Amino acid sequence: MEPDVSIETGSMIRIAVLPVGGSIPHPRLRSYVEMLGRHTRIDLSSISSFYSEHQKSPFTHQPWETGSLRFKFMLGGAPPSAWEDFQSCRKILAVIGLCHCPASPDLDLVADQFATACKAYTSALAKRCFAFFPTDSQLEEGDNKRENILLFPPSDQKTQEFHMLTMMQDLAASLLMEFEKWVLRAESAGTILKTPLDSQSSLGSEEFIKAKKRRLARAQKTIGDYCMLAGSPIDANAHYSTAIELARLTGDIFWHAGAMEGSVCALLLEEGDNKRENILLFPPSDQKTQEFHMLTMMQDLAASLLMEFEKWVLRAESAGTILKTPLDSQSSLGSEEFIKAKKRRLARAQKTIGDYCMLAGSPIDANAHYSTAIELARLTGDIFWHAGAMEGSVCALLVDRMDHKDPLLEEEVKYRYYNVIQLYRRSYLQDNAQRRELAKEVVDLLMSAADGGKSLIDASDRLILYVEIARLFGTLGYQRKAAFFSRQVAQLYLQQDNACAAMSAMQVLTMTSNAYHVQSRRNSQKMCPSPQFPVKVTKAFVSRDFSLMMHFRLHSFPLHPSQTDIIKRNPQKKEWWTGSAPSGPFIYTPFSKGAISDCNKQELTWIVGEPVQVFVELANPCSFDLMVESIYLSVHSGNFDAFPVSVSLPPNTSKVILLSGIPTKVGAVSIPGCIVHCFGVITEHLFRDVDNLLLGASQGLVLSDPFRCCGSTKPKNMSAPNISVVPPLPLLVSHVVGGNGSTILYEGEIRDIWTSLTNAGTVPIEQAHIALSGKNQDSVISIAHDVLLSSLPLKPGGEVTIPVTVKAWQLSLTDSEFDASKSSSGSARRISKEGSSPLLVIYYAGPWTSPDESNGSGNSVPPGRRLVVPLNVCVLQGLRFVRARLLSMEFPARVSEALPKQIYGENGTTEELKSVNQNDSLVKIDPYRGSWGLRLLELELSNPTDVVFEVNVSMQLDSQQSEHGMANFSNEDIDFGYRKTRIDRDYSARVLIPMEHFKLPVLDASFFSKDAQVNNLLGNKFSSTAERNAKAELNASINNLISKIKVKWHSGRNSSGELNIKDATQAALQASIMDILLPDPLTFGFRLGENGTASENIVSPEESSISDNPPGQPGSRNVARAKGSVLAHEMTRMEVIIRNNTKERIKMSLNVSCRDVAGENCIEGNKATVLWAGTLSDISLEAPPLQDITHSFALYFLVPGDYTLLAAAVINDATDVLRARAKSDSSDEPIFCRGSPFHVHVVGTA
Amino acid sequence: MANTACFIIVSRNDIPIYEAEVGSAMKKEEAAQQHQFILHAALDIVEDLAWTTSAMFLKAVDKFNDLVVSVYVTAGHILTTILLNPLYLPGSRITSSHFDTKVRALARKYL
Repeated sequence: MEPDVSIETGSMIRIAVLPVGGSIPHPRLRSYVEMLGRHTRIDLSSISSFYSEHQKSPFTHQPWETGSLRFKFMLGGAPPSAWEDFQSCRKILAVIGLCHCPASPDLDLVADQFATACKAYTSALAKRCFAFFPTDSQLEEGDNKRENILLFPPSDQKTQEFHMLTMMQDLAASLLMEFEKWVLRAESAGTILKTPLDSQSSLGSEEFIKAKKRRLARAQKTIGDYCMLAGSPIDANAHYSTAIELARLTGDIFWHAGAMEGSVCALLLEEGDNKRENILLFPPSDQKTQEFHMLTMMQDLAASLLMEFEKWVLRAESAGTILKTPLDSQSSLGSEEFIKAKKRRLARAQKTIGDYCMLAGSPIDANAHYSTAIELARLTGDIFWHAGAMEGSVCALLVDRMDHKDPLLEEEVKYRYYNVIQLYRRSYLQDNAQRRELAKEVVDLLMSAADGGKSLIDASDRLILYVEIARLFGTLGYQRKAAFFSRQVAQLYLQQDNACAAMSAMQVLTMTSNAYHVQSRRNSQKMCPSPQFPVKVTKAFVSRDFSLMMHFRLHSFPLHPSQTDIIKRNPQKKEWWTGSAPSGPFIYTPFSKGAISDCNKQELTWIVGEPVQVFVELANPCSFDLMVESIYLSVHSGNFDAFPVSVSLPPNTSKVILLSGIPTKVGAVSIPGCIVHCFGVITEHLFRDVDNLLLGASQGLVLSDPFRCCGSTKPKNMSAPNISVVPPLPLLVSHVVGGNGSTILYEGEIRDIWTSLTNAGTVPIEQAHIALSGKNQDSVISIAHDVLLSSLPLKPGGEVTIPVTVKAWQLSLTDSEFDASKSSSGSARRISKEGSSPLLVIYYAGPWTSPDESNGSGNSVPPGRRLVVPLNVCVLQGLRFVRARLLSMEFPARVSEALPKQIYGENGTTEELKSVNQNDSLVKIDPYRGSWGLRLLELELSNPTDVVFEVNVSMQLDSQQSEHGMANFSNEDIDFGYRKTRIDRDYSARVLIPMEHFKLPVLDASFFSKDAQVNNLLGNKFSSTAERNAKAELNASINNLISKIKVKWHSGRNSSGELNIKDATQAALQASIMDILLPDPLTFGFRLGENGTASENIVSPEESSISDNPPGQPGSRNVARAKGSVLAHEMTRMEVIIRNNTKERIKMSLNVSCRDVAGENCIEGNKATVLWAGTLSDISLEAPPLQDITHSFALYFLVPGDYTLLAAAVINDATDVLRARAKSDSSDEPIFCRGSPFHVHVVGTA
Repeated sequence: MANTACFIIVSRNDIPIYEAEVGSAMKKEEAAQQHQFILHAALDIVEDLAWTTSAMFLKAVDKFNDLVVSVYVTAGHILTTILLNPLYLPGSRITSSHFDTKVRALARKYL
C-alpha cells in the first residue's frame, strides 16, 4: 500500500524517472522534472500521428476522441512490487532517463548507464533518455546511433516544452502499441499470474487443476488492467466482467476482488471521459486567437447540430413520433379519439420535420413539409397544428426571400398570418367549447356543493368536501379554483391543533403555490413592479407556513482556514506577529472539524474579494422531501455577494450546509437570515425567528425543538458575530514543488523539500517570517530564510521557492501505524501517521499603511496574515536498529623491544596518529600491540524495507583533546576505511565500532569533580541532588560520545540519511561509560631490556608480519629469531614501564608475576621454571604525574614455551579521584591496579 | 354582510393593477385576504365565459358563501374598466389617487 493511492491509480501508467550521467545540478533537475510532470495526461487524440496499427487493436472501444493515457512519474524509480502481476498498474511500464549534457560529456557512457539502469525494470515496455543542453559535438554525433537517447537542443523554454510534449506523445503512442501487443499475446498464449498469496499454498494435484482453471480469470483481469492503462475503460470493463464471472466460479476470491476493484476504476474513468467530452479548453492566448478559436468551435457546434437534425428527420420519417401539445393532454383519449390521433400523427410529424428543416436553414424543404402538413391537418381537423404549419410556412417564405423586398410578398405574408390567427382562434374556441360542454355542468354542481358546504357543522366533513371539490377543479384544469379550495382545506387543517394536520396543510399549500405565483416582498419591491394577484395575502400566509416547514439557524462561522489566518500587527515590535491571538500550542490540527469554535462574542474580519463561508443548519420537520431550489445568505448591507446553493432535505432530517459569498466593500456586514427559493416561493428566513422558537421550546411553550426532533445534535445558541470587512490583504498560497503528494522518506533520510509560495492577493507582501510548529519540529534541519527575505517585497502574482531540509524523524510507537498491507516479507511495516509532519508557519503582511485608505484613519495598521504549510512527509520505517551491545576483547600483547603504541601517547605526533589510524582500519589485531580491554560497540541492524541499504560508520573526533596538549585532530570525520556494509532487504547485519578512540588521555579530577564532592565532602544531605548532577554529567558525556559516532546510510541513487542510534547506544553504554572514557590511573607495559639478548636489529612493523614465523621454523634470514621471541637458557633483561595517567604523584607497591600456559606461577614455588634477578615483588615506586617510570629485572627461562607477564600495583594513599575511578566505596580499601598481560614466546630447546 | 365590497382591476396574466376594499366590513385581515382569494378563483370561470359571449359585463359569474362575483371584461381582456390615461403603460399598476377617490365615491353611492 502506498500513501497516494486513489481509485484512479488503476489507470495510471507508472514511469520511472531516473537521472543518468553526471550529477545534475539541483535546480536543473527540478526544472526538468517539472517540465516532465506537466504531462501526466496525454490525450489519445493527440497521439494518433505517432500511432500506427500493426495488428487489429484489441482495444475496440478506445475513445480516441475523448480518452487519454495517464502517467504517474516515479522519481528515482521504484523497487519492483510483488503484486505486479495482480495489478498491472504497479509495474514500471516505462523508464525515462534525464541527462544533463554539460555534466556528462560522453553520451556513450550515458547510454550504457541508462541501459544498466533500465535492466532493473524488467517490465518496462518503453525506454527513453532525455538529454538536455547537448553540446554541438554531441549533437553531431548523437544523431546516428543511439535511438534511446533523445537530445533536447538548447533553445528557449517554449520550444523545449513543445519538444517535451512531442516526446511524451510519442512515448504514449509506443506504450499504447506495446499494450496492444501484450494483450494480443496474453489472449492467445495465456500466462500464469501469481501473487505472493499463492506462493504460500503448496500446489497439490488438486490445487494444480484449480490453478489452471483460475488462469483464465486472472488473464482476463490483467488484460482489463492493460485496457485501463491504454485509456479504454469500456474494453476494460468487458474484460473485468469476464474476469469477475470466472473468478467467482473458480473461487479465486482475491482476484475476484481485484477485478471488481478494476471495474470500479473503469466506471469512474468512463464517467470522467464522458464528462470531459463537453468541455472544450480555450488555452490562454491573445484576443484574436481566442476569437478565432471561438469561431471554429461555433462552426463545429453548428455542423454537429445540422447532423443531429438530419438524424432526427430521418428517424422521424421512418418511425414516426407521437407529438402532443398541452391542449391534447386535457382531452381524454376515447377509442374514437385514438383513431383521430393516429391520423393526426402524420400531419404533426410533417409539421415538425418542417420545423427542423427551418432550423437546419433549408426553407424550401421546410415549405414542402409544411404544405404536406397543412393539407393533412386540414383533412384530420387538427386545427391547432394546421395553424402551426401555416405559421411555419410563412416563416419559410420570409426566410427564403429574405433578400428581395417585394410588396407582393408582403401581401402574401399578411394574408397568411391572418389565416394563421384565425385558425389559432378557432382551435382555441373549439378546444374551449369541448371543455365547456363537460365543465359547465360540473362547475355548477361543484359550486352548489360548495354552497351546501357552509351548512355542514362538522369541520372535518367540510374538509372532505373541499378536498373533493379542489380535486375535481384540478382535473377540470381550473387551477385557480383548485388552489382556492386547497387553501380552504389548509385553513381547515390549521384549525385542528395538531402536527399531522399542520403538515398536511403545508403539503396542500405547496400545491397552491404555483397557482398563486408567490414571491417574497423583497423581490417584489425590487424586480417586479406589479406583484401577481393576491400577493400580499399569500405572501403573508404562505411564507408564514413555509417558515413552519423549514427551520434555519446559524450553525457557525468557520474561522479563517489556517491558510488565510489574520494576525494583528504590532507596529512596536519587530516580530509583529507575537502576542496576537490566536496563538498557543495548537495552531493547526489538520483533522479538526473545520476549526469550529463557539462564536458567541466573536469579532469576525472578512476581506474584500476573498470568499467566505457560513454554516447554516436546516431542519425539515415535515414528513415529505423538501427540495430547496436555491438558498443564499441574505445581507442587507449591500456589500456582500451571496452565492446560492440548492439542497434537498429528506423528511425529518436536518443538515448543516455551507453558504458562501464574497464581501465587496469595506464596512460592516450583518447576516440576519437566509433567502430561500422553495416550491416557487421566495421567502426570507430570519435566524432570530428560530431563536425565539428555540427559546419557546426550552420554556415549554412550543411543543418541540424542530432541530432536535430532526436528529440534530444538542441545541446550540449561536448569535451572529460582528462582522467587519477590511480592505484587501496579501494572500499567500503554497504548493510543494513536484506535486502535493507527501514526500516519502525512510527514517533518518535527509531531503530538501521545495515549497513555492505565491502571492495570490492584490497587495504586495513586504514582511515575511517562517517559523515551525506541530510535531517533529526538530526534523527540520534548515529553512532558507534568506531566500524568502531576498524576494521581498513579493508583488501580486510573484512566486518564491524555498528549500526546507528535512531529516525524517524516527518512528515511535505512538505516532506511527502499521502499514495496512503487508510488505513482501509478510511482516507489517511501520509508517508514520498522518498529521505527524511538522508545519511551516509563515507570517506575512503587506505595507504598514493600506494604499486606498486615504480618509485619514491611519491609526489602524492593516493586519498581517499567517499561512500554515504542512510539510507533507510520510516516514517509512527504514533500517531498523535491533540492538546495541558493548563487546570487550582481551588479547595480550607480546613482549618486544618497543612498547605497544598508546593511542594518545604523550609524545604522539600527528604522523604517528595517522599511522595508528591506518593500522586501526579494519579491526585487526596486531599481536605486538595486543588489545587489552578493547571495547567494541556492536550495532545490529535489520532491513525490513524492500530496498537495499548501505551503511557507513564514521567518527567525528573533535579537538577536545588538544586542551590537554594531546592529540590534535581536525574536526573532520575519520573514515576508518570500513567497507560499506550492505544490508539486503529482509536481512540484518552487524556493524562494529571500536570505542578505543574515545579514551581520555588523562585521568582527571575534572570528570569526577562533582562525583568526588558527592561521595566524600558532602554529607548525605545533598547527595540526592548531587547524584542527579552526577547522572546528568554521565549522560552528557555519553551523549557527547554518541554524537561523535555517525552511522550513515545510502539507498538507491538519491536516498541517504543518518541512523538514529542514540537511545539504543546510550542504554548499551550506560554501565561501562567510565571504562570507555577514562584511562586506568596506571598503565603497565613490558619490553625487552636495552642490552638484552633479543634481536639487535630493529624490525620494522612491515617486516614484522613476514618475520612472524612459527617457532621452530626460523626464517632463512640471519636474524634467526622472530622479533620479540626470547631464547631459553639465556638471561633476558626486561623492563616494566609504569605510566601515571593522573595529575598527581602516585606511590605504589609493584608486583610482577610470570605464569606459564597452565596459569601456574612459575617464578615462585618449588616447581619454578623461571629464574630471575632483581626484585619482582613489593617494589616501592613513586610515579610523577603524567610520566613513566621504569623498573628493570631479568628472567632466565628454563623451558621454552609461552609465558605471560603480569604487572600489578597497590596504590598507597589513593586520592578521591582514584577511588572514584575504582568505584570503591570505603576509604580504607586498598586500590589495586592491574596491567594487561603480555605474552613471552620462549624458543630454544629444553 | 352586504355592505362590503372588493373592487379589483386585473390585467392579463392575473396581474392586479388596481384594488380597492370598500364598505364597512370588519377589517380583519383574514377576511380581506379572503376576498382576494375568491376573486382570484373566479378568474377560471371568467376566462371560460369570456370566450363564449360577446357581452362585456358578465353579471354574477361565481359565488362563495354569501359573496357574489361579477365581472366586466374589456376588449383587451382587462377585467373591469379602466379610464383613459395617455401616460398609462399597459399592465402597470394604477396609482392615480383621483381614480381611487372616484371609485370609492361611486361605491358609497351603491352600498
